[in-house]
This record gives sequence, C-alpha cells and structure tokens, in this order.
Amino acid sequence: MSDALFRNEPVSSTPCVADGVSISLAAPLKRYSLRARTAEALETVLNAKVPQKIGATEGGIACLGPDEWFLRTAAETAMPTDTGLPVAITDISERSICLVVEGPRAAELLMTGCPLDFDNFAVGRATRTIYETVEIIIIREGEDRFHVEVWRSFAAWLWTAFTAAASH
Amino acid sequence: MILIHCPYCDEKRPEIEFANAGQAHVARPLDPSSQSDEEWEAYLFIRANPRGRHHERWRHVHGCGRFFNAVRDTVTDKFETTYKAGEPRR
Ligand SMILES: [Zn+2]
Repeated sequence: MSDALFRNEPVSSTPCVADGVSISLAAPLKRYSLRARTAEALETVLNAKVPQKIGATEGGIACLGPDEWFLRTAAETAMPTDTGLPVAITDISERSICLVVEGPRAAELLMTGCPLDFDNFAVGRATRTIYETVEIIIIREGEDRFHVEVWRSFAAWLWTAFTAAASH
Repeated sequence: MILIHCPYCDEKRPEIEFANAGQAHVARPLDPSSQSDEEWEAYLFIRANPRGRHHERWRHVHGCGRFFNAVRDTVTDKFETTYKAGEPRR
C-alpha cells in the first residue's frame, strides 16, 4: 500500500509561505537514536565516521551529547544487531517529524521563541534546545535553511506558533 | 535570562534548557540496612539549604542531556562554577 494512504501527519502538507520565510513539512525520514560510551565503538559498529564534538554533524549523524548521536537518513537502512559492543541503536523514525524553515528570515523566526543566537550558528551544526516550552532539535542545513525536529504530539502546536510568528 | 555554562557542551546556554536536581555530592550509603532510622532520614530528607554558596546538581535536559555539578549563590543566583559529574567538590 502506498505510504500516502495511511500516513497521518500532525501538520498541514501545504507549506506556509510568508514574507522572507517558509515553513514546510519534510518528507518522511528514517531516524535512529545511537547511544554509546565512545564514538569509536559506534564507528566500528556502523562502519562510518561519527562526529566527536557535541553539535557537530557528519554524514547525517549529529552528535547531541557525550554519549548520544542522532542519525537521519532518507532511505531504509539495515542497522546492525548483536554487535557484541556496548552500543544501543533504536529506530525512532516516527517519534518526530521535521519542519523545514527556509528563507532569509529563517533564523529570525527561530529566535522568536528560542534564546539561542542563530545568526551565529554555523551551517552544519545541530543541537537539542527548546522553543517556548517545546523541546526540538535544530539542524542548520544551509545559510537560509534549518531543519526542526519535533515530537509528533508537539508538532501541531509548533506549526501554529511558527506560522503565527512568520506572519508578523 | 541567566546563561549557564554546561561542562559537557563547553558553552554557555540559556537557563530554560536546564533543570535543577537538588543538592550535589549526596552519596547513597553503600549498605542501607546498616543505617539507623535517623541516618537514613538524614540521607533521604535532610539538605543543607545554605544562604549563599551552594553545591547543586543540574541537568542540561533540553541540550546534551547530562547531569553535572554547579556552585551557585542562593542569594544572588550567580553561578560561580560548573563541573562534570564525578569530579571532586569545588
Ligand atoms: Zn550540555
């Protein structure tokens, strides 16, 4: 069956386009929570390079904390199991959705509810933070483009807050 | 808004990303059954509550997720220092 027939997204699939900024729902992604004591153990298991510094991203993997990484990928990925190493890999694909905030006013829009300084937030950097009262993960994909990961149950509220801020 | 230095992220972040988790350096007795009621009560409930310099646990809950320790002045709300969990008391 086509994905579109049974997917039920918490926000509109029609982008909100305002002066200098647009907000749209990203296509479905595969998401994995990766936990390990060391980046080296994860690199062995995934056979891929894993960023060491909190906030850094590499090959779709963001380092969120000293023992926590977040992998986002468009394609279905077979994850290794029974690796014998102290790592935990959890499929969290449907825990969150991604809102794409794009345009010259994208950073300004995020700063309406988040106290981080997005004018000085490097492209490629990722962080967990909070918008008003809702926990989000922000990834700066480009100079004028941010991905905002939000848990499904908070998404409708965040969409309303973003679209209201965008029209001001 | 207060900025708190997270020793794991190694940068100052807004206070709303953090949660206070009570007094720091409270060690659970290794053998609880050897404790008298008074000793166990002291471990569970009795806290320093100083006016001034206070050692506290904080968690960067909406950030890297880690617990760490901080020295905060309870009068001025100023953070004197923060350091990683497991490091000696400052
Ligand atoms: Zn942190």
